[in-house]
Amino acid sequence: MEASTPNPNPNNSNSILSSTPVWPTIDGPLGLSEEDSLSYARRFYNFGYALLPFLWAVNCFYFWPVLRHSRSFPRLRPYVVASAIGFSVFSVLLCSWALTFAIGGEHLFGPTWDQLVMYNVADRLGLTGWS
Amino acid sequence: MAQFQRPKTLLDSLGEEIIRILTPVSICMFLVVLLVSILNSSSSLSVTSIATIAYSETSSDSSWDKFLGALLNSLAFVAVVTVATFILVLFFYLRCTKFLKIYMGFSSFVVLGFMGGEIALFFIEKFSVPIDCITFLVLLFNFAVIGVLAVFMSKMAIVVTQGYLVLIGMLVAYWFTLLPEWTTWVLLVAMALYDLAAVLLPVGPLKLLVELAMSRDEDIPALVYEARPVTHHDPASGPIQRRIWRQRQTVRLDSEDNSSSNRNVNVISDSNTTVSIVQTSHSGTGIARVEEGQVLESIAELSAPLINRGMDGQDGMSAESLMLEGMGLGSSGAIKLGLGDFIFYSVLVGRAAMYDFMTVYACYLAIVAGLGVTLMLLALYQKALPALPVSIALGVLFYFLTRFLLEIFIVQCSLILVMF
Repeated sequence: MEASTPNPNPNNSNSILSSTPVWPTIDGPLGLSEEDSLSYARRFYNFGYALLPFLWAVNCFYFWPVLRHSRSFPRLRPYVVASAIGFSVFSVLLCSWALTFAIGGEHLFGPTWDQLVMYNVADRLGLTGWS
Repeated sequence: MAQFQRPKTLLDSLGEEIIRILTPVSICMFLVVLLVSILNSSSSLSVTSIATIAYSETSSDSSWDKFLGALLNSLAFVAVVTVATFILVLFFYLRCTKFLKIYMGFSSFVVLGFMGGEIALFFIEKFSVPIDCITFLVLLFNFAVIGVLAVFMSKMAIVVTQGYLVLIGMLVAYWFTLLPEWTTWVLLVAMALYDLAAVLLPVGPLKLLVELAMSRDEDIPALVYEARPVTHHDPASGPIQRRIWRQRQTVRLDSEDNSSSNRNVNVISDSNTTVSIVQTSHSGTGIARVEEGQVLESIAELSAPLINRGMDGQDGMSAESLMLEGMGLGSSGAIKLGLGDFIFYSVLVGRAAMYDFMTVYACYLAIVAGLGVTLMLLALYQKALPALPVSIALGVLFYFLTRFLLEIFIVQCSLILVMF
């Protein structure tokens, strides 16, 4: 696969013969050009560290053509790949914790399970009594 | 078999655009009906908010009292909304757009975070989902922050932005359905009348806002849903705004060959096809073949006015979010619909769902018909139009007709197994 040149020419975007994408975003010509994408990808990646793994997921989803076609958009790829890795790691951690909590229940945690589970917390803090 | 690609007919381009605006409206209504039917069967909640400030309905009052109370409530609400919109016009006039943007981001965060969180809590309590508070908080925080980013602050995948707009509309609409019944119906009618006045009267705040934005050639920061444009040649504009037709430039296209266009030289159809092909002609792949000397005017977008919607808050504290009502056309030719329209359509259908599903179907069809009529008028008049009045009028009419006339008929027929 050849590397694509950063040449956002609209007439190329529908060409069936080229196997490299011209547009780095999933929106194609409606999305960002490659220069803008770099700052966006970097910003999404950095902000994801503020406990925002969904931002990493959005980053991967938005720049899906970058992930799919390896060796295209060499400047964008590190950020998007790092976001993908970060999101998978975080989701594995979160899922394992949530599943342990849900399946383990009171056997595993004892009385603290009742203190942590959401509907009890909501009752205690009166959260659903807002309306 | 034709040699050249057949030029897109009016039906192809316009039909596709209509579908692209009807789908999110339908999804929003469907989600609200789902929420209402799942959550409301258990408990009855009452909301204290701006809209119930004058009178809180109890079931023991007489009909006339309820009607009067509902009227007072709606008048209070419309007054608050008018004042808020005028304040918005003032801010826009003083060029405090940064402040407006921050305020809107904050109010979306409140909607997504607090209202979304409360509805999630209702679900958790109803189904006893064993989720712990840490996971819940992380998920909610992520959801709210990315919603704010998607809608306001940064460019993101169009699907994500549109999805979050629909979600915000759904959350606010569900909240409105918690109002007492008479108040809801009178409020809907009052908002439809207000929308009509605010957009069409020369002194209306929305019209002022539109004209301000037009004269300054600026975007109004607002919550507007923009359908994905049908032609794929130009990048979409930024956050969706209600738009109005505006003539930015005139483009003269001469016919290149002698064969005349086989399209009708009908003014309306020309302007409609101009919408979808104006960008293609700009990007050089124009397929427009016009008669000699005919001037095609490219239509550009106008930013649309905002409406401040006072949202129901807790204990009198209200968070306001800026939403647009009405519809217009964007610079890329896609249709824009304000989020206020989503909300009030969904409130109507949600209220109908509280009675029975029969009314839901009737009201849904009425609203879609009203939306179609509004779109036709939009193509005809080519300026910003209020999207509420026609749909709400038809919806309310069909609700009461169904409830008081059709239901008896259907129930009797079903009981003796004549139909259905």
